[in-house]
Amino acid sequence: MSEWLDSAIARAQGIDDWLAPKRAHALDLLAKTSWPTRKTEAWRYTPLRPVERSTAKAITDTVTLLPTAIADFSAIELVFANGRFDASQLESNLPEGLSVSLGRDLTEAEQSAALGVFSTIKPERHIFGLVNDALAEDVLVVSVAEGVQIDQPIRISSLLSEGAESHTRVQVNLAAGSSLTVIEDVQSHGDSLLTAFVEYQVAANAILEHYRFALQTGNNIAIGGSHFNLLDHAKMHSTIVGFGSDLSRLDTDIIHAGKYADAKLNAMYLLDGKELFDLHATVEHASPNGTTEENVRCIVADRARAVFNGRIHIHPDAQKTLAELNNRNLLLSDKAEINTKPELEIYADDVKCAHGATVAQIDKQALYYLQTRGVSRARAQVMLNFGFINELIDLMPNAALAEWVRPMIRERFLQMEVN
Amino acid sequence: MSNTKSLLTIQDLHASVEEKKIIKGLNLDVKAGEVHAIMGPNGAGKSTLGYVLSGRDGYSVESGSATLDGKDLLEMETEERARAGLFLAFQYPVEIPGVSNLEFLKASVDAQREARGEDAITSAEFLKEAKAACKQVNLPVSFLKRGVNEGFSGGEKKRNELMQMLLLKPKLCILDETDSGLDIDALQVVAEGVNSQRSADRSFIVVTHYQRLLDYIKPDFVHVLSDGKIVKSGDASLALELEAQGYAWLQKEPAEDELEG
Repeated sequence: MSEWLDSAIARAQGIDDWLAPKRAHALDLLAKTSWPTRKTEAWRYTPLRPVERSTAKAITDTVTLLPTAIADFSAIELVFANGRFDASQLESNLPEGLSVSLGRDLTEAEQSAALGVFSTIKPERHIFGLVNDALAEDVLVVSVAEGVQIDQPIRISSLLSEGAESHTRVQVNLAAGSSLTVIEDVQSHGDSLLTAFVEYQVAANAILEHYRFALQTGNNIAIGGSHFNLLDHAKMHSTIVGFGSDLSRLDTDIIHAGKYADAKLNAMYLLDGKELFDLHATVEHASPNGTTEENVRCIVADRARAVFNGRIHIHPDAQKTLAELNNRNLLLSDKAEINTKPELEIYADDVKCAHGATVAQIDKQALYYLQTRGVSRARAQVMLNFGFINELIDLMPNAALAEWVRPMIRERFLQMEVN
Repeated sequence: MSNTKSLLTIQDLHASVEEKKIIKGLNLDVKAGEVHAIMGPNGAGKSTLGYVLSGRDGYSVESGSATLDGKDLLEMETEERARAGLFLAFQYPVEIPGVSNLEFLKASVDAQREARGEDAITSAEFLKEAKAACKQVNLPVSFLKRGVNEGFSGGEKKRNELMQMLLLKPKLCILDETDSGLDIDALQVVAEGVNSQRSADRSFIVVTHYQRLLDYIKPDFVHVLSDGKIVKSGDASLALELEAQGYAWLQKEPAEDELEG
């Protein structure tokens, strides 16, 4: 057991609110869970020493932290400052059909509906998800009414002061036939520790466009998850962009609960220095005729470490599933490390499922072609190797976000040394 | 033309690919402003010549020399050869998804400007030039935004090669089977583009299996490459003769002395 977890459990025991039964359940499970070590499969390549040593503390004073400005982009801002939802930054005139509310402010009936979703999409195996269940100050519940298309994106920002520990929790409900774009972003200022979990319920024929940016670097710890439950004919398109930090861990779970659901997940991470980024992506095909397309691409320099675990589980009833998982990695240094593990578990016989993982393949033909036009070998390598990341940026449906993140990623790549 | 200086001089070149000898004592002299056609049967080493001259990995020179404008080509890196004025138009241009055509073209032009000690071209100025080049080779301007050759048809790829040539303004262009896979309309566009670039200080080596291309790009000299060396040289009429008779009669003859430039 770790002191950190003991302290988290102790702090959670004093909380009594509308989430009490859920919190108690999480604490029960935590009591039975051992602190992950190198022998724990889900944490094998991601040591938790940074958490054990963290001096980050919950900050109770109210502070105002502002989300990053993005050119040509305006969103409905949902801001958490050190784990506390800052309602003053939420615009008062929300579009019709969209509601945003803390759980404690919901009616009893609404609370009961929210409890029906809480921790049902996020699997119980995520130890920090349980910590978040127990310690999140409240749950911010975002709902889109049936058939409503919300054009303006919603941005959920988890913002942390230096030295802050915080736990943020959001639930997003898309009713049948609705559509919504959600951006999850994190900004922290050093020595921070964050757990941030969002559960998405995407009802029949609803469309979710999702982004998760994990661009904080340095001595920050960010552990979180984005978890999606897709009903009949629901569609989601998710883009994850990560730079590493002392410890960055993201778990995504996509559950094809309904038939004919369609999921696209594109993740890219670029790690430098001694950074670590760990993505565990699980797709559960529990119903027939679902499609999943998953692209994970990664560049690792210096002594950085990338972890990717991509699991696709096709249940016996999930006939006619189409699932593809592709993972491409580029190592720029001898001391950089990539641990990639695609896992397919297929229990239905009429499915199409493919996976592949490659490490450090430079296209020599393309390199030669560029050189025959006078481009130096070094520059050509940059052009080619940024290309495979650029492809994923090009696939981002929101152009303003793509053009915001593209120069940041490119700049980061240009600063990486090849050695 | 005999007073003009040599642009490319290849002497007794021997080269191999994966230890297999492909070029076996090749001599060629190309003077500024000349167009040379190299014809020959499949497997004669036509494409290999372009790869060897451009310095492709895996193509090793065993002996002989090749100079461009008096400079030793074989000592240079691939990109240095390009900056020295060598351009190879590929038979199968490479697709590079994720790198836009515009980015690729500008990087190429800038690399060559840098080698000449010039500043990088501004994006606005380059876009103007690139659009004009697109128009000249009859490619929609939208192709500048697409990945390099990504999903282009055979003809579009060849026109894209031609566009690069227009922008890079090389001294020596090697066109490697540029006619393969082209219909007659596309062939005419490419030939017109090439002809528009003919000048007293630019030379071409047109590598082709068929005479058809030479109806549109009139060569000053025609060489037959067989089993790694030039076995016959002549003027444009040689191409017609080959069209009528095929290559078999030449392959039986002993090698003749090379062209007189």
